[in-house]
Amino acid sequence: MKTAMTSVIKTAMKTTLRLSLLTSLVASASAMAADKVTFQLDWLPGGDKAPVYVGIQQGFFADEDLDVKIASGRGSTDALTKMATGQSDIGSSDIGALMAARAQDNVPVVAVLPYFTQAPHAFFVLKSSGIQSINDLKGKKVATSPFTSSNAFLPLVLKQNGLTEEDIKLVKSDPGALSPMMITGNADAIIAWVTNTALFKAQAKGAGKEIIEMPWSNSGLSLYSSSLLAAEKFLEERPDVAKRFIKAFSKSIAFTYQYPDKAGEDLHKMVPEVDADIVSAQIKSITNLVYNDVTKEDGVGHFSPARIQKTWEYVAEANGLTMDALDPETAVNSKFVPE
Amino acid sequence: MNQTRPLKLWIQHQANRFAPALFFVGLVMLWELICQLSDVPNYILPSPSAIITAFFNVEFSRWMTHLWATLRVALMGFVLSICIALPLSIGMMRSELMNRVLYPALIVIQSTPVVAVAPLIIVLLGTDDPSRVLITCLITFFPLVVSTTTGMLETPPEMIELSQSLRAPRYRETWQIRIPYAIPHIFSGLRVSITLAIIGAVVAEFVAAEEGLGYFIQFSTSFFKIPQAFAGLIFLSIISLLLFKSIQWSQAWWFPWSLPKKK
Repeated sequence: MKTAMTSVIKTAMKTTLRLSLLTSLVASASAMAADKVTFQLDWLPGGDKAPVYVGIQQGFFADEDLDVKIASGRGSTDALTKMATGQSDIGSSDIGALMAARAQDNVPVVAVLPYFTQAPHAFFVLKSSGIQSINDLKGKKVATSPFTSSNAFLPLVLKQNGLTEEDIKLVKSDPGALSPMMITGNADAIIAWVTNTALFKAQAKGAGKEIIEMPWSNSGLSLYSSSLLAAEKFLEERPDVAKRFIKAFSKSIAFTYQYPDKAGEDLHKMVPEVDADIVSAQIKSITNLVYNDVTKEDGVGHFSPARIQKTWEYVAEANGLTMDALDPETAVNSKFVPE
Repeated sequence: MNQTRPLKLWIQHQANRFAPALFFVGLVMLWELICQLSDVPNYILPSPSAIITAFFNVEFSRWMTHLWATLRVALMGFVLSICIALPLSIGMMRSELMNRVLYPALIVIQSTPVVAVAPLIIVLLGTDDPSRVLITCLITFFPLVVSTTTGMLETPPEMIELSQSLRAPRYRETWQIRIPYAIPHIFSGLRVSITLAIIGAVVAEFVAAEEGLGYFIQFSTSFFKIPQAFAGLIFLSIISLLLFKSIQWSQAWWFPWSLPKKK
């Protein structure tokens, strides 16, 4: 009995071994020429992270002879660390986090391409709460998650609207709990990214409620946010690969926002747990973070020195850094953007 | 004799036999009832029916991918910790010096929250399996060391004296007397460790992973799919339960003499 079992197991193992050898052979043959690039997300896959998936599915990376692998991240600083330590070559993360990290530690990562030219931070309230502007938040209970980059900018946006942190009751809780807290009345307002708007709306609808988003970009907080960042080592050692990647990535961004439904399907193909329609709703709801007055003025895919300076001023103030802690231009490298 | 008596006895016997299952079914029904009656939204407490629907909405092959990723890491971590714990406890049992030197270090490792150091491990070892296996191993090996050492030290001293008087070499003392005596202790350590192994794998996936049940749960909550997250959670507890049971089975299979006598 036992020997029969072992022989079955042995044959099974042999077959799998052969199969895996075969597939790896086939895979390596087809990818022989392509340059391998590891792309770092700053969070889990979702609508705002769609471009890199679109680039793979639509073959934009393959056209540039690139073999792209995606690694998910757990926050801006996590993504920065992984790029700085060489776990990943290039990726998306907040340029504010990069500036703060460079000012304090001089991490070997630079921004190469703007993605969100407006900050995604926002307040969300229930329509029934009667809160219509940031001023109305005085004395209200506001919930946020402990590690979001929004927290650093909160004092600034409050200040722009004549409030201080003492004027609101700030509580911190798990990101997943924020929207239920608002819907059930445990919090008057919550702080989250506008990338969540589509999800929050669906949730509130289930409870028969309506929500209003109040983006901070409309209330005086105008700065660069999520950007394409790259490890300096990657740019130095493989400049040509970097150039081709950025070219394909720019193409992917354009395609994503032009065809959000197709982008949703592409992401779903690679991450089946994500619903294509939620992704496309997310993409549609954040188009104005990518294409807006800023891109109209400066052109798509170009960091403007004035806005970089402005972004650094916000970041420095939000993180309690001195203005001379960093020359913000050193955090940017625009040489790799295709003309 | 009364005819109903055997039937009554039979029902009593069956009820007793299936008591855990009945208790569980009752609990689930109560849960469903509360959700149905009080109208709790799914994103606060999903009802069992919503969880089951969510479970079947995810493709079977995806479940298998996630299951395999978690199971692989948990088992590799578990085996690694056995490979480390057993020689370590033998060494610590034999040498007083080693015991004094290593024990404090082990306690330090155990009392450091792995969640706090996990990002460092990922930075050092990369984002693939090795770092996840190490995280799992760090969580699982301490109970094993403690229980194995305790077991070997609890060998009756007269047995040791006997073997020494017969001039048995140290390795025979260890393998033929101390380890057999330690088997019940080792297995209770293994039972604790295997459930910790699943926790370890999930913790590691929270820090860096592209697949696995822990990743799946985190991912589902990020999309506010709470019933789906619960489905993952329940799947995870079933796996823990099965692994726990399989340790018991393997003890009964290989070391039946080490089990406590049935009443």
